[in-house]
Amino acid sequence: MTISRDGAAPSAGLSRRTLLQGMAMLGAAGLLPGRAFAQDTATIKWWDIFQPLIPLHEKVWTDFAAANPAKVEYTPGNPADMMQSLQLAFRSNQLPDVFSVPNGNAATINSLQAAGWFQPLADSFVFDKPFQKEALAEGFTNFDGKPYSFPIFAIRQTSTSLWFFKDDLAAAGMDAETGPESWDDARKAALGATKDGKYGLILPLQFGDRMKAHLIDLAQAAGAAGEVDWKTGDYAHASQPFLDALEFLMSFQKDGSLHPASSSVDARQGRSRWVAGEAAMFFDGPWNSGVLNGSFKEQIDLISVTGQVPYPKDKASAFNYRAPSTGTFYMSAQSQHPDLVTQVLQMLTTDEYYVALAERMDQPPLDPTAVERANVHPAYKKVVTGYQEYVRIAPDPLVRNTAVGQVYAEMRDVTPGLGEILQGAFSGAFSDPKPILQQYADQMNRERDRAIEAAKGKGAEVSRDDWVFEAWQPGEDFTADKY
Amino acid sequence: MSTMSLRRPAGWTILRYVALVALCLVWVYPFLWLVSASLKSPLEVFSKGLNLLPDVPVWENYARAWGQAGFSRYMLNTFFVTIGTVVVVVFHTALSGYVLGRHDFVGRKVIIGILGATLVVPAGLTVIPIVDLTSALGLLNGHWGIILALAGSGQSAAILLYAGYFRGLPRELEEAAFMDGAGFLRIFFYIMLPLAGPVTATVTVLTFLAAWNAFLIPLVFTFGTPELRTLPVGMLAFVGTNETDWSGMAAAATISLLPVIVFFFFVQRYFVEGIAGAVKA
Amino acid sequence: MQQNSKPVMARIWADRWIYVFLLPTLTLVGAFTIYPVVASIWFSFLDWNGFERAGSFIGLANYNELLADPLFWNAFKNTVVFLVLAVPLRVGLALLLAIILNAHFPLVRVFRTAIFLPVVTTAAIVGVVMRYVLDPTGGPLNIALLNSHILGQPLNFLGSAALALYSAVGIWVWKWLGITLIYWLAALQTIPRDLYEAAELDGAGPWRQFRCITLPLLTPFTLIITLITVIDATNVFDLMLTLTGGGPFYATEVIDIYVYRQAFTSNVPRLGYASAAAIFFGIMFIAVAAVQIIALRRVRSGRHDQ
Repeated sequence: MTISRDGAAPSAGLSRRTLLQGMAMLGAAGLLPGRAFAQDTATIKWWDIFQPLIPLHEKVWTDFAAANPAKVEYTPGNPADMMQSLQLAFRSNQLPDVFSVPNGNAATINSLQAAGWFQPLADSFVFDKPFQKEALAEGFTNFDGKPYSFPIFAIRQTSTSLWFFKDDLAAAGMDAETGPESWDDARKAALGATKDGKYGLILPLQFGDRMKAHLIDLAQAAGAAGEVDWKTGDYAHASQPFLDALEFLMSFQKDGSLHPASSSVDARQGRSRWVAGEAAMFFDGPWNSGVLNGSFKEQIDLISVTGQVPYPKDKASAFNYRAPSTGTFYMSAQSQHPDLVTQVLQMLTTDEYYVALAERMDQPPLDPTAVERANVHPAYKKVVTGYQEYVRIAPDPLVRNTAVGQVYAEMRDVTPGLGEILQGAFSGAFSDPKPILQQYADQMNRERDRAIEAAKGKGAEVSRDDWVFEAWQPGEDFTADKY
Repeated sequence: MSTMSLRRPAGWTILRYVALVALCLVWVYPFLWLVSASLKSPLEVFSKGLNLLPDVPVWENYARAWGQAGFSRYMLNTFFVTIGTVVVVVFHTALSGYVLGRHDFVGRKVIIGILGATLVVPAGLTVIPIVDLTSALGLLNGHWGIILALAGSGQSAAILLYAGYFRGLPRELEEAAFMDGAGFLRIFFYIMLPLAGPVTATVTVLTFLAAWNAFLIPLVFTFGTPELRTLPVGMLAFVGTNETDWSGMAAAATISLLPVIVFFFFVQRYFVEGIAGAVKA
Repeated sequence: MQQNSKPVMARIWADRWIYVFLLPTLTLVGAFTIYPVVASIWFSFLDWNGFERAGSFIGLANYNELLADPLFWNAFKNTVVFLVLAVPLRVGLALLLAIILNAHFPLVRVFRTAIFLPVVTTAAIVGVVMRYVLDPTGGPLNIALLNSHILGQPLNFLGSAALALYSAVGIWVWKWLGITLIYWLAALQTIPRDLYEAAELDGAGPWRQFRCITLPLLTPFTLIITLITVIDATNVFDLMLTLTGGGPFYATEVIDIYVYRQAFTSNVPRLGYASAAAIFFGIMFIAVAAVQIIALRRVRSGRHDQ
């Protein structure tokens, strides 16, 4: 889990109406030239890809504008080209005051920090509840000891709960409340539901990052620590748990229970075709509840979800691991209003905000207890409270040694990536995935070695040993004292 | 050819109609689906197989696309950008095509060589320097930036069309006008340009189509100013973080297609004749 | 011709209006075509991650790495396969159709407009619609093929690595056939009708007329239309991105997508490397185009000699 946290997971359900309301608001914003108010009203430009959170943030911005001589001008971004927009905006000195980084993994964040994109939050920023303090870490949210950003979402989450139509499970003779928690049950349920033009499962194979997240989540449930084996520090993509997880995913194709359109759908299309009843099951994160609640209200009560990422055999030893998270919103180095930006971001740290965030049914809020107090759908509650039971904190070399950030910034993508390898396996580009996975792991090891050398050449004190965590034990949180 | 087709046996005519109708179905079916999807509810969009008729037509999709998603504004923007681009392109390509096709001067060969070479430059990565330059000129967030960038890239073909056409016009035209005391400008605007009607028609139609559907340039020029977006870029508004509003997108696509289809239906004759006139010379 | 004997400066001054006329084009093309190409050539010698404002000079290292990248050659191969299949298909089919539609009969405008419909449609929409049309389960094409017993099993047109590129070729030809049709119609209109009438009086049948009149007179147009189509075919970015995104497993990754992936969608983008890929391909492409243009000239001058 070093290089690639599930970058593409952010956010959740919005109705089409709320999305478009956001767009309409933009239109209104465009009609009012900001300069007319320039003398007394500062304009905070804000870009992010969290369209499902628009209604929540609109309220925050209204409150902010009422209390301060400033207003927020929001532009919703598209996950696919947001990074490109930001790159071009940076070059032309037009970075918005506040923005989210779509692929917000530590590698990208460290590269951007090195290139001078961010500025620290003002000294007025307070983030001192216990669960908040835990969420800040040098190299992730802080640089040179100063807070630059903070997560609004919980670290403990996955994107691979199995969502299903209750009727299909019942028809296959299975428990429609618990759902198919084990791999065997999932296969059985999928086979049972495959009839009359309906299929058991649809996978978003065209969305490489999501498939990669699914594979890693499932491999962890089968015993992997993550992409890196902490005992040796080597990339472990060809280890048994990864091979098992891949075989499990492929078994649906072998059984004929995989929706044939899987190969050409991304998560959005996959989800809407699943909801339309073309398939019985769909792997997804908690935000699925938000989407169902927004656009497919008539279906939401027909659907339930497993309380855990499906595991091969033994529930007691099935865990998932998540490394500390980077921040959600960043303040541009080009912003002229650091105090105002800090104030509006501070409004995303209150208890009231966490509860309202839970009610959007997107990624779980940073404060896990907020879900208990929120008015949310039972399926969402089941998924999110489950995380406390089986998602553990993973170690990260960057926490041990901040110079690792320079290695992350040097590391280039290795191709074919994990998502593409999955595509290749399903599309018949090769028959035996093991050598390809081995090749990927070898390339990752070599690329990391190269990046370590390059970082050393620039004066960083790093070594491969930074990736070895002897103290790591399956099923345990890797807390600060273990470093 | 029309006289010939009258003499052909009726069997051939029927066969031709059957084949053409079948072919057109293949071409038109996806658009029928588009129109049908624009009237469906989100659950129906992917779930009806060959059946194109929605249970209950959801006209609200159009209202949503036109109003809330801002497509009325995008339509205006697109008209402005398209017409602006057409005017700028016709203006500058006619001028340069005229002198390149009709006059010999120092540097002519070099310019034609460069235009020929840029004819085959694959549009790829050039967007970053284009943005750098436009931003340096202060034109990044405005329609004029888009218009100039669109009018300045990939226009070699139009210039060479004009050059070819002007070259084929008889010399006497200019000479007679020159005798009458007309200057360089007068000859061009009052005699040559009106004669180049077919090429102007062709360049107008080709530029219109290209500008109407341009995506990358309007996208990168409006990252910070969504209210300036054009229709193709506006489609992105329907692609959310976790879902895509397929029916709204289909409605928006239908709306944005209508003007071009009507336009083409009526101008196609001039269009064909224009190209024919241009290449004949 | 006597102009040539004057000193250069005097000629330039005498032709000042000519340069004024050239000014708008030179400014616009210089700014938005020439400058970006020159800048990209410079970028291709840099190690530059795209987040930084500028990169550092590394000479030819990007090109060396490029030549050793199997995925670059995969993209190269895909682009060539695409060109070799799609261009003749589009040019040939459009000619066939143009010969049929080059007549005045009822509904001909409707037919032409129908074929032209995809041309005026944004690639993003074509991508969405065609993914549905080619869908292996509910897609009308598979349903039609199954019902007419041409297929026993549905084909996964875009999802199988073996088929995806060919499906993309088909969709691209479908989308752009209309514009090539117009070019051919225009070319056919340049052939004088009396040639056919004379041939008919001499007793030549339709095939003979086609072979002895239409075909020879169309030869120069064939080269121009092919050249235009080849240029189009290297610019399939929008369509491919919405149709397949280059997948599955790089099966449809053409050069444009490869460049885009390196420049914008990787975790840490590589602008220098992406520029090198674009420039290297551009040079190869210009070389091929130059051969075509030389061939075009040969044919033209050959015709004048006759």
